[in-house]
Amino acid sequence: MPMLIKPLATLAAIPALSMMIATTAAADYPEREIRLIIPFGAGGSTDIVGRTAGQPLSDRLGQPFVYENRGGAGGTVGTRSASTANNNGYTLSVGSTSTHAVGYLVHDDVGYHPIDDFEPISLIAETPYVLVVHPDSDFHSVQDVIDHAQENPGDMNFGSAGAGSTTHLSALMFNDMADVDAVHIPYEGNAEATTAVLGREIDYLFGSFPAVYSAIQNEQLRALGVGTENRASQLPDVPTVEEAGVDGYLATLWLGIFAPAGTDDDIVAQLHGEIADMIENDEAVREALRDNGAEPVFSESPDDFATLIESEIERYREIVDNIDE
Amino acid sequence: MEFIDHLALGFGIALSPETLMYCFIGVTLGTFIGVLPGIGPLATIGLLLPVTFHLPPTEAIIMIAGLYYGAMYGGSTTAILLNLPGTAASVVVALDGHPMAQQGRAGPALVMTTLVSFAAACVAIVIIALFAPPLAQFALRFGSPEYFSLMLAGLLGAAVLVNGSLIKGIAMVILGLLLGMVGQDVTSGIPRFTFGSMSLYDGMGFVVVIIGLFGLAEVLNNVALGEKRERFVGKVPWRDLVPTRKDLRDSAGATARGTGLGSLLGLLPGAGPAMSTFAAYAVEKKVAKDPSRFGKGAIEGIAAPEAANNAAAQTSFIPTLSLGVPGDATMALILGAMMMHGLVPGPQIVTSSPDFFWALIASFWIGNLLLLILNLPLVGIWIKMLSIPYRIMFPAIVTFISIGMYSLHLEIFDVFLAAGFGLVGYLFIKLRCEAAPLLLGLILGPMVEENLRRSMLISRGDFSIFFTRPISLSFLILAVFIIAIVLGPGLYRRWKARAA
Repeated sequence: MPMLIKPLATLAAIPALSMMIATTAAADYPEREIRLIIPFGAGGSTDIVGRTAGQPLSDRLGQPFVYENRGGAGGTVGTRSASTANNNGYTLSVGSTSTHAVGYLVHDDVGYHPIDDFEPISLIAETPYVLVVHPDSDFHSVQDVIDHAQENPGDMNFGSAGAGSTTHLSALMFNDMADVDAVHIPYEGNAEATTAVLGREIDYLFGSFPAVYSAIQNEQLRALGVGTENRASQLPDVPTVEEAGVDGYLATLWLGIFAPAGTDDDIVAQLHGEIADMIENDEAVREALRDNGAEPVFSESPDDFATLIESEIERYREIVDNIDE
Repeated sequence: MEFIDHLALGFGIALSPETLMYCFIGVTLGTFIGVLPGIGPLATIGLLLPVTFHLPPTEAIIMIAGLYYGAMYGGSTTAILLNLPGTAASVVVALDGHPMAQQGRAGPALVMTTLVSFAAACVAIVIIALFAPPLAQFALRFGSPEYFSLMLAGLLGAAVLVNGSLIKGIAMVILGLLLGMVGQDVTSGIPRFTFGSMSLYDGMGFVVVIIGLFGLAEVLNNVALGEKRERFVGKVPWRDLVPTRKDLRDSAGATARGTGLGSLLGLLPGAGPAMSTFAAYAVEKKVAKDPSRFGKGAIEGIAAPEAANNAAAQTSFIPTLSLGVPGDATMALILGAMMMHGLVPGPQIVTSSPDFFWALIASFWIGNLLLLILNLPLVGIWIKMLSIPYRIMFPAIVTFISIGMYSLHLEIFDVFLAAGFGLVGYLFIKLRCEAAPLLLGLILGPMVEENLRRSMLISRGDFSIFFTRPISLSFLILAVFIIAIVLGPGLYRRWKARAA
């Protein structure tokens, strides 16, 4: 608001006054519980990462967090409600590649703009998409999958956590880059898609790491490649998909904390400081995130985070436009 | 005996004063929150999950498990007393439970649900302890075609469940399926029948529909009846609170059948627990010598679904614990809680954290025992609620319903939707249409559709996929069988009349 009034010299006192009020408001922040909207169902990777980071953040801020799972439409339903929430700093949301890049591009009218309608605060974690197959299958490497699919076009089934979800796009990207023709079978979520590989209903899946990690550890799933630039610290023996021969392949899910647009700058700065410090220095948090298959990362500044989102939107826009099913 | 050693280990931990206390807190809070209309196990656990973060992992999960049973039990209580079911399971329990309450037999009905829950849970716990890994593997053999065929049989079974006209039953199932189509289509992401309203994007809240069709419709009906309303007055002597010998004898078989069905269906993620109660009720009605008693306060009509529901609640932990794949939203929440406490679910959990695993198993049993102890003295208090004058009770119920509906998603739209369904439900009562089959259609509708479409994608459009897979074929044969036993007698009579 001060920005609008600033040019009016006659009202010069008002911005100063309103800024003072804003500062005092922010100084006491937070004085009551904070609502954290998680735009996916309970138990999913966004939920687990959001709550894993939310709990210690709530301890730091000295106020309880109220978690609100609002799933639907690839996370866009909950994100829409987060975009129109009161911007007093008491409603935050967890956003990800899915809600702020892919979902925004795939759905016709999500009802929000991923950058203009939010104050991005900071990244909290990044997880790879992992190419998984059933351990009894003949596929022991990324190349095995590619070879089989190329010899039998249209024969293999790949799953996803829903049409237009990030798991769907990361597989489409793979199919496109590796020149593979396979049939898409959408499921209701990550858990269902993972079960489908366990039950051998689908041949391969680019699973969200937190969702498939425990099954990989239990050797109920075989991981063939990870979508990140570097190997995952939890799976040192699994090559990246790029190493395995698909040049330029990159598919990760990043997660971060957002506030609705117009939230007080001081509150955003305070939250960013706490989150960045927590992710960088709190070993317990870092370990808890890693245990759930997520690599702790943070943004240098809120602007940094906004820039990342912008570049991701551009990258996925190309993929969504190219791969027109 | 290794099994005994394991159980001893589990009970050793679960019976320690501290663990016992958290189990007790969980069960008690769960019961009291579950009694509120519309607040089921999922909402209860969601609300109280953060509380458990400060506890050690084993205590936290045990408390959550306690909340789960407590909330389920609390739901049955209001279903029986006030015809205010909050979950699919309690919808079925209310079919005969509420008529019993109206006849002044709320005491036996409530005690019976507690006893039956405990018995069913005991059996299911032994099943978990002995057979969890192989059963989890069995559950994996259910792919999309199997789910589709199972649900088809389930929907036909639900139509059979009604009293009176079969045509009305099928109409209600289909109406439920249609209502289930509202909202965003999972396969394509396209919104359907939302009339551009964001509030309908996620479909009609299942709890909102239940509360409207049953709770509010019941209130409306009672208000309309005025002085003619069946009223329960007078005192109930203490000995009339407990079930009679005859009640116990009548429900023994029903409990056993319900437990068996529930234990099996509980293994199947998503559809299992809800379907098991409907299936158990339908089976009882079919095996009963006098099916006309059902819907008018038959004790078997409470025992079987309650047993099925509790057995299913227990065995639904099997896929969660041994595959790390949550069976439903509530299980997903429990799984998430486990992971946040650093417990990685999977078959190795039995060997890597034996103390946790066996303590959890033992606490299932103790939690159910605590429910029994907690609820027997409470039955008298719950019954007192029935003697509250209606002019006070009805506004109170409507107020609680409104609060409950609003608190689900913080949307005033849900309150109005429930009110709308209240009117529809009243219309159903006037038209003598049972609303229970509608609910199963509403729950299963989206799942049936998704599994059908997935099966078609997998088979590349070949319908034979449903007939060539043995499990799927068995369910289709069962579906035909259900139709045959319903239509059979009538057709036979007509054929005989023509032959004569």
